[in-house]
Amino acid sequence: MSEKIFAAAAEAIEQGDADRAAQIAEQGLSQGINGMELLTKGFVAGINKVGDLFGEGRLFLPELMMSATAMQKVTDIINATFPAGKREARGRVLLGTVEGDLHDIGKTIVAALFKANGFEVKDLGRDVPAKRFIEEAEAFGAHIIGSSALLTTTMVVQKELEQELKKAGLKDKYKTMVGGAPVTQRWAGRIGADAYAEDAGEGVRKAMEMIKK
Amino acid sequence: MKDKILIRMGDGERVTLSADEIKEDIRAGTQDAARRGRIPEMTAPEQEQLFEIMADPSRVVGVSPGEEVIVTDDGCSMSFYSGQDGGGVGVPMSRMQAILTYERACGADTTSMGHSDYSYKPVKPIINYEMNEYYNISMMTTAPFFYGAQPNLGLYYRPDGPCPNPAELLPAGKIKEARAAQEEACEHLKKDLVFVGKKLAGVGCEGLNFDTCGSAGDADFLAALLALRELRQEVPQMPIIMGSSGEFVIGMHGEVTFDGRRLAGMYPHEQVKVVEAAGACIYGMAVNTNTSESTAWNLARAVTFCKAAVEAADIPVHVNVGMGVGGVPMMEQPPVDSVSRVSKSLVQIGKADGL
Amino acid sequence: MGGLRTAGDLVGWMQMTRKMKINEAKKYVAQKLGIEVFDLTNEEVMRQTREDLGIGVVTSVAGSPKGMRAKIKIAELLDIHINSVDLFLSQVKL
Repeated sequence: MSEKIFAAAAEAIEQGDADRAAQIAEQGLSQGINGMELLTKGFVAGINKVGDLFGEGRLFLPELMMSATAMQKVTDIINATFPAGKREARGRVLLGTVEGDLHDIGKTIVAALFKANGFEVKDLGRDVPAKRFIEEAEAFGAHIIGSSALLTTTMVVQKELEQELKKAGLKDKYKTMVGGAPVTQRWAGRIGADAYAEDAGEGVRKAMEMIKK
Repeated sequence: MKDKILIRMGDGERVTLSADEIKEDIRAGTQDAARRGRIPEMTAPEQEQLFEIMADPSRVVGVSPGEEVIVTDDGCSMSFYSGQDGGGVGVPMSRMQAILTYERACGADTTSMGHSDYSYKPVKPIINYEMNEYYNISMMTTAPFFYGAQPNLGLYYRPDGPCPNPAELLPAGKIKEARAAQEEACEHLKKDLVFVGKKLAGVGCEGLNFDTCGSAGDADFLAALLALRELRQEVPQMPIIMGSSGEFVIGMHGEVTFDGRRLAGMYPHEQVKVVEAAGACIYGMAVNTNTSESTAWNLARAVTFCKAAVEAADIPVHVNVGMGVGGVPMMEQPPVDSVSRVSKSLVQIGKADGL
Repeated sequence: MGGLRTAGDLVGWMQMTRKMKINEAKKYVAQKLGIEVFDLTNEEVMRQTREDLGIGVVTSVAGSPKGMRAKIKIAELLDIHINSVDLFLSQVKL
């Protein structure tokens, strides 16, 4: 019985059908299926498949967005059944493309995949100065600050962000993640960023690891 | 054969790997490309050939005499006078001086010029300036001389352009509106591409380059295809190259089609068929380099995609071998050992018609 | 291929104007030049061939065709239309 529900849950997420996903969540819970199990074996399995298909160009951004919305809805429903202290922790991620850089698309995809995986995301858009990343992180209560740079000339703002965080004594408060076409693991290491992500999928995986720590 | 072979990672870092490790990377790389593109893997002898190229102890490698292919220019002369933004060395020289130096001092097969912004939209308001420059320089050049730029659909969204921004609409769940905005922007872009193309054709343009198409998604790719087809009818004497921006067309819209074929998710062997149908003379393919994997892994992927595209194509296929594509490491000064291995492999195994 | 040093520009013209794949383009150019395909990238053969045909050599030889003058010859030799050449010829009423 549970297996059927898990399969239906995954399928609803793959199809980006938020209403159906919510219905399955309610149904599963009413049948006494453990909420955490329903989430991980059903819905998360679905969103993982969505992420993989997107990474291979077999599923597209609008569908990814619909799946993300469906995932958020069921996560809320299932989380509400847990006692306050035992709710699935949802990391808060602040994202933006650095100052002087007008590239929006890659970062938008990253934001979608983070949302789809249960993170609370604040997307600052593009052309974001280092200081604003910090101000917004403070206001949002972010756990992770993710910055994107698509130009070799704007990558330096990611370094500036690390320096500003240190200057403000906030470096240990946030985990920082960098990405973008010219950005590499070496660059992340050089500037002192906590993580580098090759693509949106890796960003989510690394963010999950950092949140667990 | 030495136990340890000097190789690079996709970010350019030098590492030494064993022969078995390199062979395993080649196998994994070709399998990854085959799985994604649903295309054949490299055969065992091809994998062995690629290994031999990677393991060659020479700093620089090359094809045998008679196997050489041509190189289509991708803003090389701009690199003479531009700054770091264009990977340039900042020599104070004019566009004409740079182009002629590239042609004559560097022995370029083809040359090109373009606006320093390298997008078509900003060319529109200065088209007369560009026409004048093109005309004057074309009197002096001998090798094929292109005008090149990127379609860059992103410039048509707010705040840079007139259309609502899908990057804001999609996260708000406004999928219908986001798609409508992309369709509207696509129409604007197509008009601008046709406008610039026709104007340049009027001053004897020898070839137009739609470079890095699809960088803003499938609607960006569509605009280039539609403009290409229209220009081929309006100015059939002007050859047009169309190059892509990645190994698959990103589905920002997800539903736009060309000749009834959905563009989102198209891999090089599929892209080339629509580019060909639109009337391009050369298709330029791009394969993304993964900076966390070795150049052997990356190059195996690039060769696998290249081979499939060349086999499917009825027009020449040129592979983009710039920074961070085609197996070339992602770094500002791509190492010559990597670039020469990439070039040799793509020509000898991938059967590329050019680079 | 070496551009004007060899026959890279000529092969380029064939890919652009006739959409020829690399081997077909090379074969066509070699036939028009009256040389072996193998020699298309042989500087020793191509230097003299280019000079004899007046299609531009890479070094600057006083009085030797370059630019538009060489391109007119190239269009004739390869039997192709080059947009800039057509425009130029129409402007000088040739």
